[in-house]
Amino acid sequence: MNYPIWQLGFPGGLLIAAVAVLHVFISHFAVGGGAYLVLTERRAYARNDAELLGYVRHHSKFFALLTVVLGAVTGVGIWFTIGLVSPEATSSLIHTFVWGWAIEWVFFFVEIAAALIYAYQWDTLDRQTHLVIGWIYFVAAWASLVIINGIITYMLTPGRWLETQKFWDGFFNPTYWPSLCIRSAMAVGLAGLFGLVTAMWEPSALRARVVRWSGWWLALGIVSLLPLSRWYFHNLPSYSRAYFNGAFDAPYIAVRHSLRGAAVCAGLALLLTLFFALLRPKTMNPVVVAVLLIAGFGVMGSGEYLREFSRYPYVINSYIYANDVRVGQMEAIAAHGVSSTSPWVEDSSGHPLAYGRQIFVVECGSCHSVDGYRAMRKFARGWDPKFGSEILLHLPVVRETMPPFAGDAHDRTALGSYLASLAPATSSGASEKESGRQVFAIHCALCHSVGGARRPLDLKGTGTDAIAAMLGTLSDMNPDMPPFTGTDTEGHALAVYLNNPGQ
Amino acid sequence: MNLPIPYPDPMPLPAPLWLLRTLLLLTFFLHVLFMNSLLGGTAVAMVCAMRRKSSPFSARLADDLGRLLPSILAFTITLGVAPLLFLQVMYGQLLYTSSILLGVPWLAIIGIVILAYYGVYYFSLKGREANERSSAVLVLVLMLLASVAFIYSNNFTLMLAPERWMNLYRSHASGWNLNWSEPSLPPRYLHFVLGALAVSGLGLVVLALRQREDAYRKWLTEQGFFLFTFTTLINFAVGFWFLLKLPGSVQLDFVGGNGFATVLLGIGVLLPLAAVAHLIMAKSSRSPRRALVIGVSCGLLTVAAMIVMRDVLRNLQLAPNFSPGQLPVAPQWSIIALFAVLFLAGLATVYYMLRKVASAARMQIAANVRES
Repeated sequence: MNYPIWQLGFPGGLLIAAVAVLHVFISHFAVGGGAYLVLTERRAYARNDAELLGYVRHHSKFFALLTVVLGAVTGVGIWFTIGLVSPEATSSLIHTFVWGWAIEWVFFFVEIAAALIYAYQWDTLDRQTHLVIGWIYFVAAWASLVIINGIITYMLTPGRWLETQKFWDGFFNPTYWPSLCIRSAMAVGLAGLFGLVTAMWEPSALRARVVRWSGWWLALGIVSLLPLSRWYFHNLPSYSRAYFNGAFDAPYIAVRHSLRGAAVCAGLALLLTLFFALLRPKTMNPVVVAVLLIAGFGVMGSGEYLREFSRYPYVINSYIYANDVRVGQMEAIAAHGVSSTSPWVEDSSGHPLAYGRQIFVVECGSCHSVDGYRAMRKFARGWDPKFGSEILLHLPVVRETMPPFAGDAHDRTALGSYLASLAPATSSGASEKESGRQVFAIHCALCHSVGGARRPLDLKGTGTDAIAAMLGTLSDMNPDMPPFTGTDTEGHALAVYLNNPGQ
Repeated sequence: MNLPIPYPDPMPLPAPLWLLRTLLLLTFFLHVLFMNSLLGGTAVAMVCAMRRKSSPFSARLADDLGRLLPSILAFTITLGVAPLLFLQVMYGQLLYTSSILLGVPWLAIIGIVILAYYGVYYFSLKGREANERSSAVLVLVLMLLASVAFIYSNNFTLMLAPERWMNLYRSHASGWNLNWSEPSLPPRYLHFVLGALAVSGLGLVVLALRQREDAYRKWLTEQGFFLFTFTTLINFAVGFWFLLKLPGSVQLDFVGGNGFATVLLGIGVLLPLAAVAHLIMAKSSRSPRRALVIGVSCGLLTVAAMIVMRDVLRNLQLAPNFSPGQLPVAPQWSIIALFAVLFLAGLATVYYMLRKVASAARMQIAANVRES
């Protein structure tokens, strides 16, 4: 609200996700791969295995080309992207943790220098010094994870920071340690996974040795994920845990898919690793490696998505909402209105729909689009302006993941009218019961189901008149419910439907 | 006029302003040295690669630069992160806004840098097999790097011009904007790009100082001298054009209105002249090393003076609307101390690694000499 909104035509969160998943996939490899390089090099010396040493040399070049270029630059890319999409939250993170980032930058600097020396000075340095440089690389790379992990986990579980606003209270927060362990396990697994990738370019006798060695890394990474994820889960805020516990009841399809996807990818990766890497390393081939890469990407992507999702409705828990509005600002916005608070919104009181659209961009645009991702034209189908305005008062009840509406009554009316204008109801010649089903879909189904698990409404046999009478007292029955804003005819049709929903 | 300037972050600055500013300028200075070497080095490598067949020294320099450029690019990026961090702490509300308004080109920098990076690696790894294709790749890399510099110039001028923000937002909220209406943009961009070529000329002189072979050293010194002198002389004219295109009040500040700004401008004019004079003296001297070192040092001091001047210019242009001095300060001393310790330890570690590489390389050369 403080900043202009970058109107991409799709929610900016998607852009962050795209850049971030690519970055974390490579950057975790950059951490684990450091240990993999040094330990493989040491193994080659200990066994006097010139072929294996040749492999490490090749792998180190691949490693540098991937991590120093794509890994490092996409890391800067996340920073650029979050500044464009969530400038308020980025500014807050920078102010809270600038010295954390400065320390991470020191490690980053050492890491890049060590990576380049390690990869390109094989012929210059003696073995011992080369190994030392490799260890320096690994320690610096892992240390940068140690730092950035504090900042990422702070966003989900700021812990005591919310009271003290002290650096270390935010840094060592409730999910710090489990997250660090999960990320380290991912790093070990990805080191093995990319070891398999480069092994495919080696001659077959050597390839089998490298495949088995890399397979152990990958298996160790995957196997440790399950207990570590449980530990992490138990430290999540209770509202986040509820998303997972209710994942198969609540309308969080994405959580459901991500959980299933992560489990399937991890299971598949483990089976393929056990068979093709550990039991029959000679049979490992590029197709299986490609499947493993996709599965690894799936685990990483699902994990990152779930972590981001757990944070909703916040971008920094209890401090800044996902739409970049500060929690502490809500009262002022409600008192003065959006147009007085945001320098980027013009008060076009003469054009409520145009003004409503501006509020949509400012308050909803970071997660919703009109027609694309989480399309509002779909969610708001059949709304009337009154319903649109009323439902905005109950957003956190509609979806626990949504921030409350920020603004005064004028703002709310304008946004409600705009949303209602996206897909107005059309009259149809349906039967009364079918009309009732449609009225239910518009006015009730955002929160309730009939015969489903989410807030089920079982009014079968209550009587049409009794149900119709209830519709006039919804807010008295439960202040979380908006009043029924349909016509009497619609109310009667709804009552007929609820009295006998049938099939 | 009511300008749409976002309020600064409500949290206080986590360090005193002088410390943040010092770190901003120091890390930016280091970034600029690498960035200039990258941009100018790519241009030089491109020309040398094209003259590879007609000039053996050009071929040799193209190879030398090919080996150096990937590392220079790596450190350009690494050293660019720190100043951007400190800039965001002090001027975040301005930089985030201008970045959003230029969203598409600003984010495109990431893709462009990745392409340029792989282009540089392509040239580097081709090494002596370099052919016409690798020269063409360098042409592309140079264009990519020049476009990154142009986008930066756009953003860092737009962040100083809040009066232009609302119009850009209304016309293209999708971020398809550039700061075309900034009068100082062309001379500013040209001034900085020519400066980069000049600094890379100094880089060639530094490379020459490390050469053992007389003929190649002399040739390199000549090339460096020519590049530095030629671009610096043009840059006097471009710098004057830049000054003319600044807002009137800021112009006056640089010609007497503000003592510090005026002295800086004077230093910025005299230092490069001193550098050129020493490089000319070195040409006619029998032992030119001392004059070359002084010339290069004057050139580097010019860069430092320009960076301070750029900072002064930023604050003068912002003065009517914002000054970081207005922000509350609550230093996080314990973490600042930890950063200082780790920073020194990091420097020591990098020094250790470079020393190991240098001594190993020396031993290898000595062994090769003994063998031959």
